[in-house]
Amino acid sequence: MSTEHERTSMTMSNEGATDDDEIVEVAGTVMPQIRGRLRTRLPSKVRTARGQLIVLTAYLLLTPLALGILSLRGGLARLDLSTTDLLAATVGNIVAAAACYLAARLILARSHTGYFLGVGAAGFIAVASLYAIAEVVTGSAGLTGNPAFFYTVYQGLYLLFAAAILINLLREFAWSRTLIREAGKQTGEGLGVPLRDIRISAGASRGAVVVPGSAEETAAQAARTSQEPLLAVRGLKKHFPIHGGLLRRQIGTVYAVDGVDFDVFPGEIFSLVGESGCGKTTLGRTVLQLTPPTAGKVVFDGYELADVDPDDMRPLRRRMQIIFQDPFGSLNPRMPVSDIIGEGLLAQGVSDRKTRDKRVEDSLEIVGLRRDYTRRYPHEFSGGQRQRIGIARALALGPDLVVCDEPVSALDVSIQSQVLNLLLDLRRDFNLTYLFISHNLSVVQYFSDRVGVMYLGKLVEEGAVEQLYRDPRHPYTVALLSAIPDPDPRRRKKRLVLKGDVPSPAAPPSGCRFHTRCWLREKLGNPEICSTEEPLLRPIETGHRTACHFAEEVSDQAVSQVVATQSVVETAVADPV
Amino acid sequence: MTETVNVPAPLGAPPASDALLDVRGLKTYFHVLDGVVPAVDGVSFSLGAGQTLGIVGESGSGKSVTALTIMRLLDIPPAEIVEGEVWFDGREILSMPIDKMRRIRGNDIAMIFQEPLTSLNPVFTIGDQIAEQVELHKKVKRREAWDRAIESLRLVGIPLPERRVKQYPHEMSGGMRQRVMIAMALSCEPKLLIADEPTTALDVTIQAQILELLKTIQDRTDSALLLITHDLGVVAEMVDNVIVMYAGQIVEQGTANEVLLNPKAPYTMGLLESIPTVEKRGGRLSVITGTVPNPFNLPPACRFAPRCPYAWDLCRQVAPELAAARGSNQLARCHLHTPAGASRLPAALERHESAMRLGQGPSNE
Repeated sequence: MSTEHERTSMTMSNEGATDDDEIVEVAGTVMPQIRGRLRTRLPSKVRTARGQLIVLTAYLLLTPLALGILSLRGGLARLDLSTTDLLAATVGNIVAAAACYLAARLILARSHTGYFLGVGAAGFIAVASLYAIAEVVTGSAGLTGNPAFFYTVYQGLYLLFAAAILINLLREFAWSRTLIREAGKQTGEGLGVPLRDIRISAGASRGAVVVPGSAEETAAQAARTSQEPLLAVRGLKKHFPIHGGLLRRQIGTVYAVDGVDFDVFPGEIFSLVGESGCGKTTLGRTVLQLTPPTAGKVVFDGYELADVDPDDMRPLRRRMQIIFQDPFGSLNPRMPVSDIIGEGLLAQGVSDRKTRDKRVEDSLEIVGLRRDYTRRYPHEFSGGQRQRIGIARALALGPDLVVCDEPVSALDVSIQSQVLNLLLDLRRDFNLTYLFISHNLSVVQYFSDRVGVMYLGKLVEEGAVEQLYRDPRHPYTVALLSAIPDPDPRRRKKRLVLKGDVPSPAAPPSGCRFHTRCWLREKLGNPEICSTEEPLLRPIETGHRTACHFAEEVSDQAVSQVVATQSVVETAVADPV
Repeated sequence: MTETVNVPAPLGAPPASDALLDVRGLKTYFHVLDGVVPAVDGVSFSLGAGQTLGIVGESGSGKSVTALTIMRLLDIPPAEIVEGEVWFDGREILSMPIDKMRRIRGNDIAMIFQEPLTSLNPVFTIGDQIAEQVELHKKVKRREAWDRAIESLRLVGIPLPERRVKQYPHEMSGGMRQRVMIAMALSCEPKLLIADEPTTALDVTIQAQILELLKTIQDRTDSALLLITHDLGVVAEMVDNVIVMYAGQIVEQGTANEVLLNPKAPYTMGLLESIPTVEKRGGRLSVITGTVPNPFNLPPACRFAPRCPYAWDLCRQVAPELAAARGSNQLARCHLHTPAGASRLPAALERHESAMRLGQGPSNE
């Protein structure tokens, strides 16, 4: 499917995605229900109709505007119109304009109300303008000569717009009926094409090395980042209130995620690393709208998730799945595997038990479990197998984006590598994109294409893995990397040990949030800017982005100087007791 | 510190003079409803004064049970010490009356647990908890015990220890609590410190703090350290000698440098191959197939054979012994290092070498 998707630009031209392709694709992969189908991609006809609605809005507003200007200049007296007529024309046009604008907005959010409102408004305007033209033609309007001509043209334009919008929306409606029929024929396949077929159809690329960092992957990654991002996060914030006192009033706020920007491109693995409490898990959940964001935008494949009707989120949720950290807590112990994996399918409208079970079995097989495990309960599986069930659950819905929230941190080393390899295979076979959340920097280095380092709800550094690990420019990243225990004794090194603990996200330090623990600030003689001005994530000469006022001062020499003089015992910081 | 492995003395003999801790043929089994779990199945090692020894293994390999057996902290039943002796400082402690053991526990042998929050008592201040054991073991007055508590808090780098002693565990962060645990363990100046996954519950930067602290303190006080961990990285940074356990048995034993650079047992090789490192970026991780065997139904001969890429008929018929691998000081439990497996050894080592350099690593940039 073309990655061309709806943007906020208001274009009236019919952009070239072919409708026939879309029918096949959409009927093949989404549930056979109009709601889901309508929202998987805004068809070109609706896009056009939406643009026309916006232009119509502007045009409708011309009348009240013109009348207003006229009344200001005292020109209204020359028009032989009653006050009632004028008032009706003004109010009517403003209401109609509002309706059209609302319809256009709602259509953007794939809401049915939008379509119906659009059809309603356009229909009303068409009838009203037809009536007005009829009045002029029959002479009951009392207009003759040039005024009659211009008035007819004026009303004719209304008619034209309204007709165009009606035609587009109605054609779209007819098209959707075809889709439902098409989809109906496929209910035997449940949620579209069986998973196995998708996997086999990816045969051309099977066997190729798709591990991050390999030559093929590096080339593929370069191609990806030139595309539109699949997921764009802008200024995302998630604050939690702290309630306390006698009346349970809000006495504080936890700034769990506090203004994060990043893009995830189709097919890549983007990792978020940070220590516990830095907000990485909250960020993952907020991206999926599992908790509503406090502020900011999450744009998934062109859909701004905060604007989408809660009802209409469901088809989008199918495309965004999550794998949880704890393979014991995330599977309901009272459900057999068939229900654990099948529940999502049921919610997405695959109501036929047989179809569902088949897809459950397919997904079990794909993650390396046996097809006949469907009747077993979670306690019958080991930790690694449970994590595979969690992966199968996400996979069964055919997602595009999978948020992996610490998927391997509860597993033993030997099982961890099995699961990482499985995730890489699935990415290749199903064209998945991962948002990988982890605290394990070694795993992230091995597993991802790009990485973002989080500290206290903020992204402090972001860039390609090779770049960031070789040349970290944020003092926090330097310390994190230095703290990884390396199993190769030849690389035994002196560590850069940070002082103190992560401050509370309920009372983050002023300015740069890291300044209370920063070794670089100390080395530079505690410059004032660190505690007064918040550094922005800015591109630096190495090609990645970092949020430090003094990123240019970070170098190997600086680090070794600090390491040589640090005390490794007095690393606990005296905080107010 | 010495770079040689302490080969345990034969069973029943008096301990070697330099060995502070000498574990011989230890077998700890658990009797549960479904049968008997051989959690520790014939483990022998020794640890000299001031030395460091790491025990690594995955969950269920028996490393924690080994430590708890030494500390005699297991409930008997369901646990049963089937066989074996533990000599500490010239005395056999498994057969010792429990009140004598209490005088050693916390005094001569101290333990740091994985989860500091659950290991500290939430209703007593940390000063109470540290002073209690000092009072008990050192037979000193309460005031003096408190002074020692403050001293040991200062030793582990806790600022303002005079005020911290009056705090409760919940008033501290995870890293701070782990420091308190270490301070508590050090308060009686033990000869042996057992740390069971001391940093697993902590973040990387705090882990770095605690590891550096442990290292410094161990150097300063010259106590022996038995470090139990699943993280080979921690082992590489912290200890001189290392034991690798699998399914209740030692599969490999040697100095940390030898074991991590030239592993002899296929299990150790597999573990090292499956850890993501910078060299492996760009290549597919090699994995140990399958899972840890069911403890009620262990493989008859070599316990690793079903998952071992090099296993052959012999491995499924005859259980290998822990024996010195040729050309090194390491002990390995594998037929590859016996004459019967000599012909297969080069291929196995070659396979391991290539698995360790899967990707192109940093050179690929």
